[in-house]
Amino acid sequence: MDLTPRPAAPAAAPKQRNRRKIMSAVLLVVVLGAGLFVVFKGLTNALDYYCNVDEVGHKDGCESGRQLRIQGVVDKGSIKTDKGITTFDITFNKVTIPVVYDSGEPGGLFQECIPVVVRGVMKAGVFEGDDVEVKHSNEYDAKNKDRIAKATVEAKTCTQSN
Amino acid sequence: MPTPKSPTPETSTPASAAPAGGASTGTAFTRAIGLATIIGMGALAVFGLFISPADVRQSDSVRILYIHVGTVWVAYVAFAVTALSSAAYLWKRTTSLTWDRFAGASAEIGVLFMALTLLAGSLWGRLSWGKFWVWDARVTSTAFMFITYIGYLAVRGLGGSHQQRARRSAVVALLAVLEIPLVHFSVKLWRGLHQDSSVADRTHVTLHGLMLFSLFVALVAFSLLYVWLLMHRQRVLAMQDALDDKGLDYALQQRRSEGDA
Repeated sequence: MDLTPRPAAPAAAPKQRNRRKIMSAVLLVVVLGAGLFVVFKGLTNALDYYCNVDEVGHKDGCESGRQLRIQGVVDKGSIKTDKGITTFDITFNKVTIPVVYDSGEPGGLFQECIPVVVRGVMKAGVFEGDDVEVKHSNEYDAKNKDRIAKATVEAKTCTQSN
Repeated sequence: MPTPKSPTPETSTPASAAPAGGASTGTAFTRAIGLATIIGMGALAVFGLFISPADVRQSDSVRILYIHVGTVWVAYVAFAVTALSSAAYLWKRTTSLTWDRFAGASAEIGVLFMALTLLAGSLWGRLSWGKFWVWDARVTSTAFMFITYIGYLAVRGLGGSHQQRARRSAVVALLAVLEIPLVHFSVKLWRGLHQDSSVADRTHVTLHGLMLFSLFVALVAFSLLYVWLLMHRQRVLAMQDALDDKGLDYALQQRRSEGDA
């Protein structure tokens, strides 16, 4: 334990010290503000996790031919599995892209009428996916309600767009 | 800690109900909160596992929601309390170390519960997304906040006097708390895999009635647990500080006797 007395702090005039305090507070606010501006303006594209299906080839960072993550709802009745290769169509804003996924069973809640995010490359109009993630919604409802309610939920799922 | 008189008024402990001969951090208040926590957690187990329904798409995995949201609620509250206590410490002429210890105790609990949030979220992600971990905005910003508060605890451990520790960590706490809105609104600001909130800041709650009530039970039970942990941990930290001060007194005494000799 060091018990040597501390040297007394150089005593600046109180007014000067106050001004310096205010200046450093202002500087801090400016730096924080600039940092936030960079995060929001400059990085928003990078922070977005995926492109929607209708943006492929239209939006910055969503060019076809490069590796992308695309998001859309799996079309009803479009899932086909053959020798470890799963094909399905995903739709968003009325634009549909066919997907070929050859890395086994898509995991999670993968099923028709559910939004998914697929990673891969667009080649000749077909999206060759190597990774599928399920983007479930924030809606939760009881499982064993009557069938009419369930049907409404399912119909809603297939048309939802978020 | 009833026995020795501590040199500074701040380090005297509030544990007045401690039995003679041994230090205790329990009081009638903490025992009441502890009992309420046990009852609340029991109720949460019953509601979460049995009474609340399985989800139409996620089946039983939706039950993780009660732990995931309950723990992150505690983390948010804990970090907010850390910031408020730090502000109270820094406020003109307050500089009471009790505020600093509340800040430190609360941050420790926050880090613990944020770890549980990440763990529960990871398991839930495996079941619903198909992945234990993804680098989307919500998950990444949460991990970032978790690491920030580990850094805060490291700053507390840098050494120096109690007042130095309090001043340094208070500044960090006031900056770190700005991450809470960033994490919370990350699902709105950026596209990610994580779902939007179902209750907070929306007009239409997208949660089935019984699920919503079970979540409410979870929030109450976890809040009680937080208060219980905070009271105990804050008192333990006060004892540690008192012990440090005793060590300092002892060293001073040694120095003085050197001078006398």
